[in-house]
Amino acid sequence: MEWRWDFTFDVVLPRLWEAAGITVYATFASFFLALIGGLVLMLLKTAKNPVVSGIATELIELIRATPLLVLIFFLFFVLPEFGLTLPPLATGILAIAIYNSALMAEVYRAGLQAVPKGQWEAAIALNLSTYKTFRRIIIPQTLPPIVPALGNYLIAIFKETPLLSFVAVAEMMHAAKLIGSEYYRFTEAVTIAGLFFLVMSLVSAQLVRQVETYVKRSIQH
Amino acid sequence: MSEPKIRFDKVLKAYGPLKVLEDLDFHVDASEVVTIIGPSGSGKTTVLRVLMTLEPIQGGVMYVDGEPLNMMMSDGQLVPASKAHVRRIRDKIGMVFQSFNLFPHMTALENCIEAPIHSKGMAKSKAIDESMDLLAMVGLADKRDHYPSQLSGGQQQRVAIARALAMRPEILLFDEPTSALDPEMVGEVLSVIRRLAESGDYTILLVTHQMGFARDVSDRVCFFDGGRMVEQGKPEALFGHPRNERLKQFLSKVLEAV
Amino acid sequence: MAIPRIAFIFAITAFLAGLGVATFSELRIFLPALLRGAVVTVQVSVLSIALFLLTAFVAGIARAFGTAPVRWSAAIFVEVFRGTSLLVILFWFFFVLPEFGVVMPPMVAAVLGIGLNFGAYGAEVVRGAVQSVPRGQTEASIALNMTQFKRMTRIIIPQAVVITIPGLSNLTIELIKATALVSAVTLTDITFASVQQNQLHYRTLEIFAITVLLYYCLAQFIRFGGGWLEDHFSRHLKPRSA
Repeated sequence: MEWRWDFTFDVVLPRLWEAAGITVYATFASFFLALIGGLVLMLLKTAKNPVVSGIATELIELIRATPLLVLIFFLFFVLPEFGLTLPPLATGILAIAIYNSALMAEVYRAGLQAVPKGQWEAAIALNLSTYKTFRRIIIPQTLPPIVPALGNYLIAIFKETPLLSFVAVAEMMHAAKLIGSEYYRFTEAVTIAGLFFLVMSLVSAQLVRQVETYVKRSIQH
Repeated sequence: MSEPKIRFDKVLKAYGPLKVLEDLDFHVDASEVVTIIGPSGSGKTTVLRVLMTLEPIQGGVMYVDGEPLNMMMSDGQLVPASKAHVRRIRDKIGMVFQSFNLFPHMTALENCIEAPIHSKGMAKSKAIDESMDLLAMVGLADKRDHYPSQLSGGQQQRVAIARALAMRPEILLFDEPTSALDPEMVGEVLSVIRRLAESGDYTILLVTHQMGFARDVSDRVCFFDGGRMVEQGKPEALFGHPRNERLKQFLSKVLEAV
Repeated sequence: MAIPRIAFIFAITAFLAGLGVATFSELRIFLPALLRGAVVTVQVSVLSIALFLLTAFVAGIARAFGTAPVRWSAAIFVEVFRGTSLLVILFWFFFVLPEFGVVMPPMVAAVLGIGLNFGAYGAEVVRGAVQSVPRGQTEASIALNMTQFKRMTRIIIPQAVVITIPGLSNLTIELIKATALVSAVTLTDITFASVQQNQLHYRTLEIFAITVLLYYCLAQFIRFGGGWLEDHFSRHLKPRSA
């Protein structure tokens, strides 16, 4: 068996290129939903009502104990039973978003906890409104730890999108699999899909590091 | 006069452009107890660290019993020392650190027998016998099965001394051995060092801020400043009639603080 | 914290018991298939964990202390197996390697893929731990004239192992969850079994509740074990309370 460049250029690259669009779309859609979902879960978890915070805490634990693939299949099967029939891509994005919301809730919480209590007290002493306290005092201090952590989740989500191929979403792994079964050769398609993930992860990891230093600098002035 | 126990020949230690030791010529005779004093950043600790081969030097040669340590003879030429050569010479040197550096996952006795067994190849029963004698000597025989975290700072440092002695060194290096201790524990450690100094069995090089102790136990005191040995002499002379201006300033500050 | 957790587990168990009674016939139909899947999940997990730990320590220590070529090979291994997605790696072992004449049974491909993927993550945990052992420990070993090998095996690594326990047990839990992907290499683990059973019997809630409960229990088992190991080994390492 050897590498065939004509096959690579004529078949593999065009089809993977098409699928890469879905991969990137799924990544960002899941990420933004998870950003919001994580915030909601964090707010619920830190709610004053012990019942609300207790349920949120256990929900987070339950989601974290569940493999992402199980969650994808579960939504795929259970949503239609509740009369909600979504296309596989939407279901998959929802599953990835829910899964990562539970993880991101912890990131937000850790970021908030990193702000010393004295900062809140100083804001009260200066008679700042709640909005101003968050906008001017708290959020700027929570960003340096949160932003890089969220960036790493973006990379993690990107590497989770191949799981959508299990419910036949036409992302890159699915395309590679289809090419393999149509032409009886997997080498080029799977290798290039792997290289795509590798290069994107390495580049994004580098970007996250740069954002990290940028945020740190811009906060410290 | 025979070859000194330790001899530094134009030793240079630099971090980039910063020279910590500059062309240092220095020697210690057998069984001599030498204390190095000086302000922080004077290079006094570095003398011990380069001799223990914890840090490489950039120039010069260090000799132990007339044999080069960081270099070795090959075909009549001095060449950079091999690992085996360094290990053979280094076997004569033991060191006690400011922060004890006991192995936290081993008991007091295990700390002491570790190197004799695994570095010298001593039989375990013999290592235990010798180490128990040493622990008794530092007054900690009953703590043999305690872990470092279960010992006070003074006790940890005494175990560290026993651990260094267990390797049967001829030269002992003490790097500010009481600086990390609470004041009430300084005495117990100094009394152990004093006994070692008075036994005459060891060549001792001590870095300390305890001026009174240095005056008591030392045969000779060296004052370092800015990477150079500025003045040296018998303790009475050096403390009683300092000549160098920097030494006078240093002593007045240190003695004032006490 | 412990009481709501216990209450929650109790609630789930009661819920499942209720479901079991309510749908006894169905439970009897799909439970054996799920249990067979669970056995595969546990088999893959145990073997992968062994490979994961081995790889993590070898690559982590190589990256921290190896000579330049060793360090570089370890770094490339870590970046490649972390940077690609686990599913891609599984595919590559199972579908691409045979095209080069390397054919391996599904179980071997699954264990290799999962073990090496997580081993790459674990290597970074081990490297961090080894490098966080205080410098004074190395200096004391030099002062005691120990060889580099003895210094590693008797002083540095024993202390580093304790530091790695929380990080490696978290990764172990993630690894067990990641075994859900092994149907990609034609193994029928509990996740795939539940998909199959669901398509036959349409008892989505019950089937997936049982599946999630299995993963949850395995995770708790690892968390408990990791906590115990950490307590056991760090007993003497914590500074004594003033």
